[in-house]
Order: sequence, then C-alpha cells, then structure tokens
Amino acid sequence: MAGAEMIDNVVHAAIVMTTPVLLAAIGGLVNRVGGIVNIGLDSMMLAGALLGLIIASSTGSWGAALVMAALAGGVLGLLMSLAITRLDANEIIVGLGFNIAVAGLVRFFLKSAYGSSGTLNLPDVARLPRIDIPVLADIPILGAVLSGHDPVTWAAWLMVPLTAWFLARTRAGLRLRAAGAAPQAVRALGLSPLAIRDASTVFAGLMAGLAGVYLSIGVVGIFNEGITAGRGFIALAAFYFGRNRPWQTALGALLFGFFDAFQIRLQGRGVPAELVQILPYAMVIVVLTLMALAMRRARARRA
Amino acid sequence: MPEKEVMLAGEVLLDASVRLGAMNVTRRFGALVANAGINFRAERGTVHAIVGGNGAGKSTLMRILQGMDRPDEGVVIVDGSPVVFLGPADAFACGIGMVHQEFMLVPGLTLLENLVLAHEPVDAFGRIDKARALDEAHRLEALAGVRLDWDTPEEDAPVHVRQIVEILRLLHRGVDVLILDEPTAVLAPAQVKELVALLRKLRDEGRTILFISHKLDEVLAVADQITVIRGGSVIGTMPREEATKAKLAEMMIGEVLARPTARPSVGGKQILEVKNLTVRNNRGHIGLATFDLTVRAGEIVGIAGVAGNGQDELAAAITGLGRVDSGAVGLAGEEMTGLTLRERRAMGLSYLSPDRAAEGLCLVAPIADNAIAGHHRRPAFCAGGILKPNSINSHVETLLDHYSVKRTSAALPASSLSGGNQQRVAVAREFDGNPKLLLACQPTRGVDIRGIAFIHQCLLDFRDRGGAVLVVSEELEELIALSDRIVILYGGKVAGEVVRGSTGIEEIGRLMLGGDSA
Amino acid sequence: MTDSLATTAPLPVLRWRNAAATIAPLLLALVLAAIVLGLAGHNPLEVYRLLAVESFGGAKRIAATLAAATPLILTGLATAVAFRAGAFNVGVEGCVFVGGLAAAYVGFTYVGLPSIVLLPLALIVSVLVGALWMLLPGLLKARLDVDEVVTTLMLNFIAVSLTAYLVNGPLLAPGSANSATPMVDAAARLPKLLPPSTLNAGFIIAVALLLLYWLWGSRTALGFETRIAGLNARFATASGIDVPMLIVKMMLLSGAIGGLAGGIHALGTVGRFVSGFSPGYGFTGIAVALLGRGSALGIFLAAILFGALATSGATIQLFSDVPIEIVSILQGMVMIFAVARFGWIVSKWRGPR
Repeated sequence: MAGAEMIDNVVHAAIVMTTPVLLAAIGGLVNRVGGIVNIGLDSMMLAGALLGLIIASSTGSWGAALVMAALAGGVLGLLMSLAITRLDANEIIVGLGFNIAVAGLVRFFLKSAYGSSGTLNLPDVARLPRIDIPVLADIPILGAVLSGHDPVTWAAWLMVPLTAWFLARTRAGLRLRAAGAAPQAVRALGLSPLAIRDASTVFAGLMAGLAGVYLSIGVVGIFNEGITAGRGFIALAAFYFGRNRPWQTALGALLFGFFDAFQIRLQGRGVPAELVQILPYAMVIVVLTLMALAMRRARARRA
Repeated sequence: MPEKEVMLAGEVLLDASVRLGAMNVTRRFGALVANAGINFRAERGTVHAIVGGNGAGKSTLMRILQGMDRPDEGVVIVDGSPVVFLGPADAFACGIGMVHQEFMLVPGLTLLENLVLAHEPVDAFGRIDKARALDEAHRLEALAGVRLDWDTPEEDAPVHVRQIVEILRLLHRGVDVLILDEPTAVLAPAQVKELVALLRKLRDEGRTILFISHKLDEVLAVADQITVIRGGSVIGTMPREEATKAKLAEMMIGEVLARPTARPSVGGKQILEVKNLTVRNNRGHIGLATFDLTVRAGEIVGIAGVAGNGQDELAAAITGLGRVDSGAVGLAGEEMTGLTLRERRAMGLSYLSPDRAAEGLCLVAPIADNAIAGHHRRPAFCAGGILKPNSINSHVETLLDHYSVKRTSAALPASSLSGGNQQRVAVAREFDGNPKLLLACQPTRGVDIRGIAFIHQCLLDFRDRGGAVLVVSEELEELIALSDRIVILYGGKVAGEVVRGSTGIEEIGRLMLGGDSA
Repeated sequence: MTDSLATTAPLPVLRWRNAAATIAPLLLALVLAAIVLGLAGHNPLEVYRLLAVESFGGAKRIAATLAAATPLILTGLATAVAFRAGAFNVGVEGCVFVGGLAAAYVGFTYVGLPSIVLLPLALIVSVLVGALWMLLPGLLKARLDVDEVVTTLMLNFIAVSLTAYLVNGPLLAPGSANSATPMVDAAARLPKLLPPSTLNAGFIIAVALLLLYWLWGSRTALGFETRIAGLNARFATASGIDVPMLIVKMMLLSGAIGGLAGGIHALGTVGRFVSGFSPGYGFTGIAVALLGRGSALGIFLAAILFGALATSGATIQLFSDVPIEIVSILQGMVMIFAVARFGWIVSKWRGPR
C-alpha cells in the first residue's frame, strides 16, 4: 500500500534526521549540566564532517572516520573550553567566534588544499553500513523504526539512557552536576571544577564531531560547507527544550527530526520551502515562551 | 624579624604538639598586606578561637591554612613540620578542612549527595553506593547527636541543618582539624549552644577546632585558646583563663571605643505603616503572615530573628521589589502598595541593601556613579534628561567627604575601596536627599569596628533629626544598641516585641526560636 | 574611555590598560592567522602588507574601505547598544535583512515621489521594521525572562528564510531569474560621496549616529541608567531604575539601528534586495562591538578595521591565491580574544586554582 509505505519512509527519514541533532544535543546537555552553554556545536559538527569524509575516503574505513571525526570535535571542544575556563571568556561570544572562525578555516582549507569553493566530492568514500533486522523489517512502522539504520544511530539512542544513568548514579555525574551548580563549593572540596567543565565540553565536541561525520558519510556522502544547516543550533534548541533531561532532550530532537523529514516532503506540494524552514526555529521560540509561562504559572500556583 | 625571635618562633612552632600552625606567614594583595609575618600555633585537641575585626586578616590566614591560598612568605606548619599546600586537596590529605562563611553546599543536590561529594563510596562501575552512603550518614548523625532527612534537596534545608551537613562532610573525609569561619553568624542563640556542645564533643575526642569569630561572648564561652589579629598581624595569644571581653576588645581595635549613646526616642507621627501584610517567598511558601508594624518619626525599630523567618519578605514588601499577597504598606499616610521602588524613593523611602556587593553597590562602576545612582534625575542634577556633570561632581565630593569615605579618586571603581568605605558610600547615598524612612538591612555587615561605630552614629543622628529607621539585622548587639523597640520575627509572624532596656539577650533569643528554650 | 560622570580624568594606569585590552586581541588574532597563512604556504607579512595597501593606499581605496565599514559601524553600534544594557542581542543580522527588504520595498514601490520624501521614508521604514523585529525577544526577556540569546539567534534564521521567501515570491523582480527585487527608484538612492566608489551618504549617517551615541552615553540620564543596568541589574533596580523597560527600549533601539544598516545597504550600495543580502554584517557587528569595547571611538576604529579587511580581502583574492576566508578566521578569533581576560594567567602562578 502506497500510504503505509509513505508513512514508513517518513518515519525512517525522521529517525535519520534526528540522529545528528540527538548526538549534538546529548553532548550539549552534558556540557550545560557542567555549566557551559555550548553555542559552538555547529563548528565541531562541521569539522567532524569534513575530517570524517577525508578519512573515510583515504582509508576506506568508516570506523576510522568516526574516530577521527570525534577527535576533531573533541579537540575543538577542548580549545573552546580552555578559552572559557582559563581565559575567563564569555561562552556565548566564544561559541559564536568559533563558528565563524572554523567555518572560515574549513573554506580556507578547501580552497587551499582542494581548490574547491565549498563542496568536496571524494572518491571511494566508505559509507556507514546499514543494519537490517530480518523479521522486524517487515512490520509496518516498527520496522522502519528499528531496522535499516546504521551503528551511529543506534549509538545515539543508546546514549540517552546511558547519559541519564551517568548523571544520576555515578560519581563522575555527581561531580559534573556539582561543578555546574556550584563551582566554588567543588573547589573548596579539593576538586577542580574547571577541569570537570573542560571534560564536559570535550565530550560535547566528541558527540558533535560524530554528528558531523554522520551527515557527511552517513546521509549524503559528500561534504558541503552548508552541510550542518544550523543543526548545532537546533541541538541547542533541543536541550533547552529538554531542560537538562536526556529523555526530554531526545524527544525534542525527535520532534525536530520529524519536522525536517516533513519539510522535504512538503516542499514538493506547493508550500514554499523557505517558509517551512522557519518552523524549527519558530518552534524553539514558542517552546521557550511556553516553558517560561509554565514556570511562572507553577510559581504562582504553589499554595 | 630579628634572628633571635625567628629562632624562638621556630622552636615553638616546629614542635610536634603543634597540630596546625603558621610560621612568619605574609600575604599581600597588591598594596594591601593582608597577613604580615604571622606566627600562629594551634595544639591538638583544643578549640582555638581567632578574633579580630573585619578586614583584620583572619579569613586570609584561614584560607592559607586550608590550602585555598598560598603565602607569599612563610610556611604552614602541620604536626610540627613545614608543609606546602598546592590546593585544598593537600590540606584534606593532612586532615584539615574548613566550613566557610558562605556555605559550600551545592543546590540541586540532596543533603546526602552533598555529604559524600568528592569522597563518594563507589562500586566497581563508578556507581555511587547509596546504601553505604546512608550508613555513613547515620554513623555521623550519631556522632553529632542529630537526625536529618538526607533526601531533602539542599535548597529546602534550613540554615543550621546545612551547617551541620558541612561539618559532617568534613568528618566523613576524616578531617580532624576543623576550621570554622564565623559559624554563629547565621544561628539563633539556642542553636549556637548546640553548635558549641558539638564542638566541645569533637574536641574531647581529640580533634582540633579553629573558630573565627568577632562575637566575644561566644568566643569566651567555647575557646581554650584565643588569638587576636589586627591589621594583618597577631597582637597576642592567650589561654581562656587570661582573657576578658574588655581586654580582647582593646586588642582588637587598639583602643576602647565608646559605644554611641542613644537619647530616648521622641516618637513623632507615623511614618511607616504595615497592615495585615502577607507575602510569599520566591518558592511559593508564605514567608510573612498577617504582619503589622508601625514606625514613627524619630524612632528606630529593629527587626530581630534568625535568617529566613520573614525578614527578606518584609524588606521586599517595603521596597516593592517583591509581590505582596495581601495587606498594605503606607508611607507618611500615603499608600505605597503596588508602587515601584522608584516611586517609593520619590515618596521618601531609602533602602540600604543587605547585599552590598550584589545590590547595594555596583563595584565595577566608579565611586561617583555609585554615590549618585537613584538621585541622578533630581532637578539639581538633570534637566530634560541631560545630566549636569559639574553639579553632580561637586555634590558627590561633598557627600563623600561628609561621610569620611577614604578614597584616592571618585573616578576609580568602587571595588578599590575597603569594605567599610564601600558601605559608607552606600549609606551616604541612602541618606542623601532627606528621606523620611530608611530601611537598613544588615547595615554593618563586613564593616570594620570604626566604620560600625560611624554608621551607628549616622543612624542615631538621623533619628534625632526626626527620621524613621527600620533596621533588620542578624547582630543582636547592634539591634540592642540602636533600637528603641525590637520586633522579633519567627515563622513569618511577630513572636514578641521588646522596648529599649526592658529585657536582655536571652529573652530575645528565646523569642527568636518561637518562645521555646533550647 | 570610561563613561564616568566624574570629571576627574581616569588615572594613566587605567588608560594604558584599556588601550592594551583593545590592541591585544587584534594582535593575537593576527599572529594566529599568520600561522594559518604560513601553513597554507603564504607569507603572512606579505599578505598583511597587501591587505594594508589595498585598504588604505590612495583615495579610491580608502573610499572603498569606508564604504565597507558603513554597515559595520551601524551593526556594531546596534549590538553595542543592547550589550550596554545587559541584553545579549545576537540578532542584528536578522534586522539587517528585514530592514533592507523593507527599505527596498518602499524604494521600488513608491516610484514618482520626490527624493526628499522617498529616501527618508524608505530609511524610516527600515528603522521601524528593524525595531519591530526585536520587539518580541525584548518583551520575552523583560516579562518572562526568556533568554534573549536563543530567541534573537533563532530570529536570525527566521529573518533569512522569511526574506528569502518574499524575494523569491511576491517581491521578485518580474522577468528576473535569480532572487532579487526590482531596482529601487533613483529617487530613493543615497547620494554617492566619491563616485565611482560605492561610498555614499550612509557613511555620514553612520558617523553622525556614532557621535549621537557618544553624547547620549556620557551626558544623558538614560545613558547612565543603561550603563549601570548592564553592569549590575540588581543594583540598578534597587536604585529605582526600571530595568525590564530599559531592556525593551534598548532592544528596540538595537533593532532600529540594525534595520537602518540594512536600509542603507539597500539604498546606498546594492540598490535593491537580493538573496544573500548581508555577508554576515550582523555577526561582524558583534566582533566590532566587542573589540571597540562599546565606546563610540572604539566601534568606529573596529568597523574601519573590519571594513578594510573585507575590501582588501576581496581584492587580493583576485590577484593572489589567498582565500578571502582569512577575513572570517581573523574575525572569529578577534571575537574570542576580545572577551578573554589574560590577567588571569599572571595570577595563575600566584596560588592554587
């Protein structure tokens, strides 16, 4: 039936579109729990996408590409974090600065090394394998959800309960929460809140780097300077929406994933592409407003 | 220091009975010498009090002893040997820990999580072992003779509970030298007694307690040894038996300051009228319930109470910075409820904030700006929205001189002033413009002895001129010295009211806890 | 460069430190960018020399630099005005887009009106539209304490998409294949100052606004209040200043100036609204505001600097193989270093963290 197939396609596409946002959002969430709002996720995604593609093409191994992309993101994360924690720089400005500088560096690099202005199309790019689960694949909808996805998507969704457990139950998670909420208290106890924050930013960078390489070798197979399409900011929206809770953040990422998937389909039906593109960003504003209203109502309601 | 004295100090300090000490410790912050050649020794199993006025250098020394800071010269002594602390972790390793004045607990975590933070019992996976943590908590509870609800979020726990958690946390880490910085500042008299009992118990078990305070009565009640610090140097150390309040006060301030004497109040017409006021705090609970209060011209009314019993809500209602659930606030016969603070200031209200650094002043802005803020739109200083810099300048200079603010230049940021001088700027600004009522919250917090006397005199002079003052303070001595009447707040209601000279501290302390004695 | 009310001059030490704080980020960025250039096989000193020559060598080039600096003066001022009051407005880019489109619309629709009416009208419309664009985030911040960083950031993207829709649809120039509006009427064009360069009267307007800002900041009660509110909002409130209202006002003002930047760009330089209207003027404006530390003179100099980089970067790209992206790299790094505080490194050796 064409209808069911279409639904399956949309579901599948939604999950595909969710993965990069989810990865970056989980990273951003951990970062924020540790006390830093990471506006520069886009830059780490971009770097991961580029490096991942290059590695995938030159080594033929998608595993190596994942590792190197994550590392690239992690290194950028570390640099950004050091500027914030050791040089006491404002995290918003540093994030924006990183986005601008890294975007420039990427284009500079493409021009200098490949003579290309914006797009990089390499031969023999190792793509992510597709995991089809035999019996499940035939179930409508559920099959689209569980089957036919790649390892990175599975890893992304596994990160959600893992992060929740980490924050609530482990020693490192407790120290992270403390470092974000009261760094002076943490320092008085003999720990280093700055080092803890740096670690959380590196983690965010790793995740964003993975998100980036997923886009370049998982989704499209080439690199384009616009490949992130502002998804670093959508991830920001997702973890704001999720209020530092992993499952809620995942829900937000999923919502945006559905939007993304629908948007492509709506484009062909006379709804102007540009207007549809507005939806995720508008939704962020709406969500933030609703959250603020709810908080205000809750405060007033307390008897 | 002459060599002979250095050798003497060395012999005395490098002795194994010195559990924690300092030898010739000097610490400078730019031009300010916070600690100058300090020699200090605390023996094992004693309660050692360090007294001194604000800015004397006590906190700096304690931070060095605990590893939060490093001396420019000299060394810390542990068990008779010199050591170097690179951070609090090193101090903890030597069994030294500190309870700071601003509690170092983490909001958003439970009391249990706060207890074990940085020293968590973990299992193989890095998971926190909650059962073991609870066991430990119960063990420590027994030690201290308390019972706590360990799942309470930190921000919901009352102040004295938080302090106990801080102390237990140190014990959990095997600390046997506890440094406490002004621990009684936030406690009611009966809670102070409990704390003193706990400290004595810990001392009897062989621990060493270092106790910073400027409250001489408490110091004399609990200490075995007392060290007086003034101007960054140790003035003297003596055993309890040799210490008297007068002697200590003299050592602290270098001379005996006369207490400002207050003439009896004349009591004019009603200035502040609070009727049936009910205010919620920012967590939605009722902070102040059906509260009535009157303050007359030429009268100082003090509000006493342990922090968190409605003082913040009362101040918020009077200033207009908080929302009032029901009731009315009036100034000189005119309704004030619902007006903004700007409008209330125009009506004659002045407000001295309890939090000088965050609200009373803008530390990064020039002193002149701090002095004129709030007055800058007065016709004398502003015409059609355009400021008159010359008028403002001369006014500011006159004002600062009148309040003896010691400064290099009014163009420098307010952070360049000492705490006492900063508060003088705030006081000067609030008295400027002849207000009808001054709401003064913690008016001498963090101010040196001379500054305290000066500010108290300002308040009394203002009262004698016919002004009305409402003082909210955690320092009972201050309230007793200033107030014609003291209203005691407990649980958001009036627990009692005492008139000048009618009762003593014990009675007020009893009322502060709702009328039950310890 | 302190905006103090005290007429006593700030001590020499303070002035020196302020100057160093302005130059240092630039120097650091130049050093790091030099490393990047070197790695790519270029001679950094030669590149910088070329950039300097191309920006300031001769009247024609200086005119081009000033023309490029014009939108940056305005976006820098727009950002600085908001930052001053403590509102973290990163949405000036969006205001440039909507203001530019609005001005272009008036310019090509009301053909036939004399220049003396049409030109101011178009500019005023760009100002109003820019201000309106910031009304929502301003209100949300003031009334509900919604983080203005996120809302203004989102509005950038919305503005780009919205104007793209309009310019590709209803406002598309008839017969035009690419996304552009019709050219605005000659009566709506800002007069050129030094033909054939693009330097136009917009530059005069920008400088005039900067002077007004300087006067306003140092001499008016509102200027005083916004500065204090930005430094310590609680203190400002306790002094009787209505901080939420101030934030709304400053966000509107910020949007207005940003919209004007778009309007001047449309009526002075481009002559219409096209897709890709602003090459990141709004974001560069943030770097300008930060490097200039919010002072009128600082904004002016920083805008000249970035304008110089933009024009010379475009030119040298033509006859050398140095990619223009070196400008973005410099810009991003200046932003980061402008907010870094290096005094900390000195105190690090003092004691434990």
